[in-house]
Amino acid sequence: MLSGGADGVIVVYDLENNSRKPQYTCKAVCTVGRSSQYVHRFSVETVQWYPHDTGMFVSSSFDKTMKVWDTETLKPAEVFQFEGNVYCHHMSPIARKHSLIAVGTKDQKVQLCDLKSGSRIQVLQGHRGEVLSVRWSPRYEHILATASTDSRVLVWDVRRASGSLFSLDQHNGDKSKASSEAVNTAHNGRVNGLCFTVDGLYLLTTGTDDRMRLWNSANGKNTLVNYGKVSNESRKGLKITVSRSCSPEFVFVPCGSSVAVYTLHTGELVTMLRGHYNNVDCCQFHPDYQELYSGGKDCNILAWVPVVRPPDVEEEGTAAKGGSQATVNPAFEDAWSSDED
Amino acid sequence: MFRSRVLLFFSGVCLNDWKILFDKELLQQCFKSVMNRKRALISDTFKVNKRRVGNEKQFGAVNNGEAGPLDVKATLQDLMTLFPRKLFNDALPQIVLKHQLYSIHNDRTQVDRQLSDLREQGELLMFQLGFDAEAFGLVFAADYKAKVLAGEEGRGTRGTVDKFLEKVLPSCKDLSFNKEKMLKEFLFTDSEITQLVKSGVLTVRDAGSWWLSIPNSGRFTKYLIQGRKAVLGMVKKSKYNEVLKAELEERQTNSQVKFQIKYHIHDIIGAELVECIPTTSGTVLRCVDY
Repeated sequence: MLSGGADGVIVVYDLENNSRKPQYTCKAVCTVGRSSQYVHRFSVETVQWYPHDTGMFVSSSFDKTMKVWDTETLKPAEVFQFEGNVYCHHMSPIARKHSLIAVGTKDQKVQLCDLKSGSRIQVLQGHRGEVLSVRWSPRYEHILATASTDSRVLVWDVRRASGSLFSLDQHNGDKSKASSEAVNTAHNGRVNGLCFTVDGLYLLTTGTDDRMRLWNSANGKNTLVNYGKVSNESRKGLKITVSRSCSPEFVFVPCGSSVAVYTLHTGELVTMLRGHYNNVDCCQFHPDYQELYSGGKDCNILAWVPVVRPPDVEEEGTAAKGGSQATVNPAFEDAWSSDED
Repeated sequence: MFRSRVLLFFSGVCLNDWKILFDKELLQQCFKSVMNRKRALISDTFKVNKRRVGNEKQFGAVNNGEAGPLDVKATLQDLMTLFPRKLFNDALPQIVLKHQLYSIHNDRTQVDRQLSDLREQGELLMFQLGFDAEAFGLVFAADYKAKVLAGEEGRGTRGTVDKFLEKVLPSCKDLSFNKEKMLKEFLFTDSEITQLVKSGVLTVRDAGSWWLSIPNSGRFTKYLIQGRKAVLGMVKKSKYNEVLKAELEERQTNSQVKFQIKYHIHDIIGAELVECIPTTSGTVLRCVDY
């Protein structure tokens, strides 16, 4: 797992739990520390592995640069310089025909940088505020969604020379619902979190109006799923994530100092994961281990592991549901006293 | 002594279905917080509450455990009884806020869907109340019509208001109207629009557009905000900023609170100004410090 910190340090962790103990620490495999001459000078905002292998990764930071690193030597193969703080970047996970990195900076224009040639190829104009989050669609390699402080989310097709495809409107075109300034906006505040669902059919956005909205990514309609108040005070981008291969799908949102888990399509709050001491900034879901990793201002990265439910046992004469004790993986069994004391 | 305290704290946290795997630094921080009595209580850091009334729910299933299938109309009628009619001399129709429904039913999306169905059928009207972008008032259409016409008795604007209620309300489900629509679609003249604003059925939104509104609802909004502030103050003044819901319902209200306290309680829970925590002694309302 790749992680970037507010001090400019980038660390790669090995997530495998080889010890059989319930408490374990993931070891750092390699680090770009403060002593490295190529380290970022200010906070690293976004890190991403090269989508096709782990030989390369890209990091962008508040020191107005985006660096493409070689994992073996931990030296940057390419450095892109920008005029403003870089809030986030994203490379398309499915792209075959292009190797573009979309970058959102303090500037209102979304920049597209080409990995193969090392130059800035395209600029997408349309936002009127800083671009806090950018995301490629996992379904179509040319579709890009961008979120900005001007309360709007724009969806682009990068092959088109003209502007965005459409803007997400929280009232679905019903101009009567909002006050006239809020027409055609995705949120009533800054939009700082963007996440596509795994199949790319839906897009989730979070904003500083304490709301999270689920949109149909094909036509930009608000599905009007009501998650309630999703507290959000982040001035920068927020990294939200959805689960994969779960039924029903969950969305994990950092909410203050805990991570809130909601069911994706019904908007029900499942649970709040409490463990951090300070604000949580980002979370990421590992589809193979089915684990959630969250990082926050308390300098900790926590791993959240689901407890396995027992198989339902059919018993004659009694209810079909199994016993109340969850069978726990022996590596996770603990020897603490029980709750009933 | 310290050891036993740490044991209890670990077992308390592991109540949830998700377990936390600690690393060394985190363990050290836990010990630090235990040793340092002057800092926050452990329970504050981890927000460990009294044991939750745990229930294994089927996530995603459309199911309201208490009352069978979700019936928003029945809930609306129940909430309407909490509205104080005498306070306004029966001049106002009974108003319920949309978020009060969220305090009763868990599934907000279902509530929203049923509400939009009722609005489509023309049984329910929704109004933007003005003090909060998300606060919507709900009134039964029949009630609204009756009260508005009763209020217009003997006034010159009665004819225009009648025309408005007949023509616009059944066909148009919007919350606001702009000039173009009023002039072209509904064929109202400028002077008629002025009459409608005067009678209180429309209020100005900005140049050339108006909100649909309830006449004389200014006092309602004022008392609502006043009462909401007072009830929240009651919760804040309690020890640990939390109070049992049942106890709050029994409390004496001061002169600032003009409505029934239950009305305000549904309001603050639904608007998420307080956190609702299920405990073994009932529901606890805790102030949310955001």
